[in-house]
Amino acid sequence: MQQVAATVAPGQDTPQDTLTIDRLKAYYINEHYGIKREIRAVDDISLVVRKNEIYGLAGESSSGKTSLIKTLAGAIRPPMRVVGGSVTFDFGGERIDVYRQPEKMRAARWRNLSYIMQGSMNVLNPVRRVKHSFRDFALRHMDGANFQQRLEAHLQRLQLAPTVLEAFPHQLSGGMRQRLTIALATICEPEFIIADEPTTALDVLVQQDVLALIKEVQQRLGSSVVFVTHDMSVHAAITDRLGIMYAGRLVEEGPTAEIFAHPQHPYTAHLINSLPRIGDLRIRKSLSGKPPALVDPPGGCRFHPRCPLAIERCKTEPPPMLPSKANGRVACHRAGEAEVA
Amino acid sequence: MLKILRDLLRYNREFLAGSILLGVILAMVALSFVSPYPENAIYAVPPDMEPSFEHWFGTTSRGEDVFWAMTGALRNTLAFGVLVAVISRLIALVVGLVSGYLGGKADQAIMAFNDTIGALPHIPILLLVYFVLRSQMTWEVLAVVAALLGWSYDSRLIRSVALSLRHREFTRHAVFSGMRTPQILIREHLPYVVPIIFFTAMNNLIWAIGLEVTLSILGFCDINRPSVGGMIYWANAHSAMVSGIWWWIAFPMIFVVILFLGLFMLAMSINEYIDPRSRLARMGA
Repeated sequence: MQQVAATVAPGQDTPQDTLTIDRLKAYYINEHYGIKREIRAVDDISLVVRKNEIYGLAGESSSGKTSLIKTLAGAIRPPMRVVGGSVTFDFGGERIDVYRQPEKMRAARWRNLSYIMQGSMNVLNPVRRVKHSFRDFALRHMDGANFQQRLEAHLQRLQLAPTVLEAFPHQLSGGMRQRLTIALATICEPEFIIADEPTTALDVLVQQDVLALIKEVQQRLGSSVVFVTHDMSVHAAITDRLGIMYAGRLVEEGPTAEIFAHPQHPYTAHLINSLPRIGDLRIRKSLSGKPPALVDPPGGCRFHPRCPLAIERCKTEPPPMLPSKANGRVACHRAGEAEVA
Repeated sequence: MLKILRDLLRYNREFLAGSILLGVILAMVALSFVSPYPENAIYAVPPDMEPSFEHWFGTTSRGEDVFWAMTGALRNTLAFGVLVAVISRLIALVVGLVSGYLGGKADQAIMAFNDTIGALPHIPILLLVYFVLRSQMTWEVLAVVAALLGWSYDSRLIRSVALSLRHREFTRHAVFSGMRTPQILIREHLPYVVPIIFFTAMNNLIWAIGLEVTLSILGFCDINRPSVGGMIYWANAHSAMVSGIWWWIAFPMIFVVILFLGLFMLAMSINEYIDPRSRLARMGA
């Protein structure tokens, strides 16, 4: 926890933390014919998300981003299991431990905590009208008076005509559906929104729209958002702070602008280097190898087999999470030595 | 809904034919309520009369008018089929949705039971029940026993759909938003399987009526309750074929065929309407 506290610069007004994750471990545990396999998708992660900020989570596929947010939302089911640590939300002073107070958590669902899912274009039931999805998912968490008027007003703010409520999902375009799912996630004005790759399936124009929409809604409601995507340019555009995940672990965290300017971890530096820049005609080098299998991750620093800066120490000793020069935290023995081209 | 029916009648010949055939049956059932003879009244008319203007379908050796006996028999047979179909649909729905949604070990256990039921031979079991119950064997009891045997194929079908629904985003969304399992099953998954229910209901109706006709012809049923099979049973008991009273056997058979054909065509056309692949095949795509 001391490490977490270190992210808040001294002298700065400490904002309230909406979400506190403390040494969270969640593994997929499979047992077949007596052979037990653990896939360490979320391995010893601690982080806080403050009130009124957009926290980005980045990392390549299979780095455990989605597993982490599923776990923090309490939306996991077997074979995935929480092995250690805790997730605590703070909704207006009321603290809820996700895995020790499931009843409180159920009451907070949608009311305080909503989720824009991966592939969220399909969250609307294809055989039911849009309004029925809204009734099912949201009405139970709100008081029923003027539901229809509030719903229509809410849709209007997101530039959707009230007529879409009568439509079936297949009659709407991808962008409209995406906007509807954001409407669905924000109708109860939650304090915390989890957005799992909400823009991945969209073309860049619609993507820009949707990002602006999420930002606008977040600012109006003053809520916290955890925004997950592997697209670093989206992170640069929307997030306030950024956490980089690699092989189930958080390797670096800090204010987005500072991370982009001075990445401390070699992996972060590679992610940022992979972004094309206007006028820069050099061929981007891809990192050799691929992320390790989480069944049997490499010892020491999990990035060392692919790391150009790796030294003997990296192979044996897992680097601790320490305050970094980019105003955040980093877990690397050679932090700050990687260069951005 | 009305528009769909109109379009089906206009463009789907099977649906039109099925509707007409079933319409004939339903008209007969409606007529049973205005029958001039009380049910089960024997020797109400002169026996063994050939079909004529007075007795359209002739009369039986027991002195019943075949036409009016037919109306009552069809009503009872159809009522039996509908009761079986409704009860077995309910069981199939609950078992299929729950098993598919739960998945894993629960699914395996439920499906093991399901397949056991499916493997049981129906007629010997119904005969056994008949011999145990004897005089207490009313048509309602028979319907319940038949329904308890007749759901397992359709629950497997429904389960296969539920298995895929379980992994869809909207299900995860519903779980996340705090909906409880029964609500998810009823509000989110049920609308998905309603077409399957319609289609299997027709097939189940055919199966149930076939079962009832078989058992009644053999006399393993309440023989004093008029039914289509029961009429054939009495005709056989009076050696109608030997003594040349062909109309006593022919008309029940014709109406069973009409009923089966009608239901089968409706089931086929509804299946075709529901399944986009066969709909496209019809369009020549």
